Amino acid sequence: MQQLVNGVFLGSIYALFALGYTLVFGVLHQLNLAHQGVYMLGAFTGWVLAVSYDLPLWVAGLGAIVAGALLGLLIERIAFAPLRGRPDEHFAGLISSIALGIVLVAGAQGIFGPETVRFPPDAFPGTRFVIAGASISLLQVVILAIAVAMMVGLNWLVVSTRLGRAMRAVAENERAARILGVDVERVTMATYMLSSALGAAAGIMFALAFNSIRVEMGLAVELKGLAVIIVGGLGSLPGAMVGGLLLGLAEVFSIVLIGSGWRDAVAFGLLFGVLFFRPQGLFGKLRVREV
Amino acid sequence: MGALAEFLVRYDGVIAFVGINGVLAFSMYAVLIAGQLSLAQAAFASIAAYTSAILTMQLGLPFPAVLIIGMIVAAGAAFVLGLPVLRLRGVFLAIATIGFGEVVRITALNLDVTGGAIGLRPIPRVVGLWHIYLALALCAWLFFRMRPSKLGRGLAALRDDEVAARVMGVDTVRYKLFAFTLSGALAGLGGVLFAHYARFISPGQFGFERAVDILLYAIVGGLGQWLGPILGGGFLTLVPELQRQVGIEAGWLRPVINGLLLLGVILFLPSGLVGVGRVLVPAGLRRRLDATSPRATPAVTTTPEAAAVEVSVRPPEGTVATLSGVEKDFGGVKALDGVDLTIGSGEILGLIGPNGAGKTTLVNVLTGLAAPTEGAVEIGGSDVVGLSPDRINGLGVGRTFQQTKLFEGLSVRENVMVGGHRVAEGTLLPRLVGLPAARSAERMHRERADRYLAMVDLGDQADQPASALSYGNRRRLEIARALCSEPRLLVLDEPAAGMNQVEATDLGGLIRRVAATGVTVLLIEHNVRLVMSACTRVVVLNFGQVIAQGDPTTVSRDPEVVRAYLGTSDATDVTGTTPDGGPDTNDVGTAPEERE
Repeated sequence: MQQLVNGVFLGSIYALFALGYTLVFGVLHQLNLAHQGVYMLGAFTGWVLAVSYDLPLWVAGLGAIVAGALLGLLIERIAFAPLRGRPDEHFAGLISSIALGIVLVAGAQGIFGPETVRFPPDAFPGTRFVIAGASISLLQVVILAIAVAMMVGLNWLVVSTRLGRAMRAVAENERAARILGVDVERVTMATYMLSSALGAAAGIMFALAFNSIRVEMGLAVELKGLAVIIVGGLGSLPGAMVGGLLLGLAEVFSIVLIGSGWRDAVAFGLLFGVLFFRPQGLFGKLRVREV
Repeated sequence: MGALAEFLVRYDGVIAFVGINGVLAFSMYAVLIAGQLSLAQAAFASIAAYTSAILTMQLGLPFPAVLIIGMIVAAGAAFVLGLPVLRLRGVFLAIATIGFGEVVRITALNLDVTGGAIGLRPIPRVVGLWHIYLALALCAWLFFRMRPSKLGRGLAALRDDEVAARVMGVDTVRYKLFAFTLSGALAGLGGVLFAHYARFISPGQFGFERAVDILLYAIVGGLGQWLGPILGGGFLTLVPELQRQVGIEAGWLRPVINGLLLLGVILFLPSGLVGVGRVLVPAGLRRRLDATSPRATPAVTTTPEAAAVEVSVRPPEGTVATLSGVEKDFGGVKALDGVDLTIGSGEILGLIGPNGAGKTTLVNVLTGLAAPTEGAVEIGGSDVVGLSPDRINGLGVGRTFQQTKLFEGLSVRENVMVGGHRVAEGTLLPRLVGLPAARSAERMHRERADRYLAMVDLGDQADQPASALSYGNRRRLEIARALCSEPRLLVLDEPAAGMNQVEATDLGGLIRRVAATGVTVLLIEHNVRLVMSACTRVVVLNFGQVIAQGDPTTVSRDPEVVRAYLGTSDATDVTGTTPDGGPDTNDVGTAPEERE
């Protein structure tokens, strides 16, 4: 039961991170490999606001999310916008976002140093609940609630708002959307901001939950995020959520069953299984193209 | 001499890693030129590095033996991974290979024989600079000779347009697997050299970051040319070294500069360092280095008619293709609903029908791009249901596409040469050792391509890149490309779409010229006037069924055909004369349609 709680908890952070990936891929067919930098900088921003400026945690968290959104805009402008219309657009975008990711991580190391930083131990309320034999802290409950709220909010945004409709139109057919009067530039920027806000939120949540912030923290989650969006189906929002939860649970239970050395192999075992038997992912659709 | 020796001793390490990274860059290049993105190169290198190190340290095998075994094991791993993974494309393939890399790293981290996180040491240093640079030179030679060969063109075609490559007879599955296996072997070569030079290997040296590094060597160098990997590997290895020399500290500033450099290259130098280098090199030398443009290109003086005579064959007797009871369902929509069709040898058979009548589906079923749900398709007497497009091409079917699918990165002539993939001889192996037979086989194939180019009147554009052709010429090039496989049946999918009436009339002449060389033609068209003037027989398709067939005049007066086209039966026929003598209201589809 305790493992189940831990798994769901870890999984919801993976899911938030992966949602950012899959949103950009689903709408714009781009894979933003600088996303892990946003995750890491989100964590650091929150930490700076909370520790150096002594702001309440919720303000720091909000600040991290806003910073993440701005960073997303920056990534889009620097790494993707200049490539638009080039024949190797997608391929080059992969490389340029990797490059920007390197700059973000190394820059963060220049500012914050290579050591792990932590929140002071009295930063969180120590309240714990025991539900059906599992111990869970108030912090975990809050984080889980926020993660779920963000997922629900994102779904509502995509399904029911004007922006969401425009995003779905661009995802379906960018040219047609443009002709019908959708401001594709604005949708693109909004998508990146939204995606990066989710990435930064995942980062600050991870930082709070495990009280550990390092410049390399994004690299570890990057590969898992990729595995999650493949497992869930590229571009599928529910897929990323379910995939994230699945991965969190699988990891936690694999530590119990086969030892922590192989924990990271589980993500990729899952990945291979899905790729071979259901390459479109659990929730993905296969696209048929006419020649 | 003394100065050189001193230089080599002093910078031995840097020079060695420039070379090793060049070899690894070539391993990446091998898959990238086939249009595949693999991030498993570091993993293949580590597999070979560990294998060779264990063999050297525990069994004391001699270096040549461990080198060969290491490369074979890495190539084998690439082959085994490639079998299932190469069905995937683009981002999926990249992520799957990242996953493989992680699994390999975690395995090395957890096994005893690999030394876990500490790794293996000390491995005897048996590799010297000459080993490394000999390996690098061999890689360069391989790729230098590969591009202008059947294999090299096939890989380039696969990169530019996989579907078209398959239809042109390139066995894309085999080619991808070959590229993948070759890349595994070369990564293995780099890995073995690394292990026996650095004397120390650990899982951390072959992680995701290393895989990205190797990708960057190839990309920064540039993919257009075989020199790229050497330049990219050298540049990215030297940059940190130079930074060290000028006193920039390790830690964060170096990766920032590296990242910015990389960003600069990808944003502003799309063709990589090779692209920059090309501008600095004199044109004559450039051509020799490229080796894709043959040195002496004979002027094409043949007229289209004369070229047609040269390629003429006697058409075989009987039927070329038979479709019986063919049905094709797309999730409840019957695109083809029991089509029976016989294509006789020597015919110019027109296939017309309103939008959505199932014409393109029929072509896809005939050429192997779509499998029929029901029914039988025979070509030249053999059942082709379930055969891959390249096998069907081998049975003598060539085709063009409704939306042109040229190999944009290849020259006009190379496009046609890929078209003749199946009839060309493989020349890479003899080329590697410089046999004259290879040169003459290449020349023969080039001349064959030139004849077809002359036939479609593109002889003077042979050395242009295909992407530079005008719209009408792109359509002609597709026809020449399809003809170069010497098909018995040529399928033209709306070749006149987007053409004006003058161009369409020209095209009609070309189609008759093609048919006169003994090739049976199936012409799918919306331009009714073209079909009526060029074809010997016409079949009309509507809602996936054949509603009429016969000679053009009879069909054009068939009331059901008129109804299918105009929705009423008031008009007299579909060739353009309405009762009030108005203009042709039925050239539906002469405007290009948006389809994807």
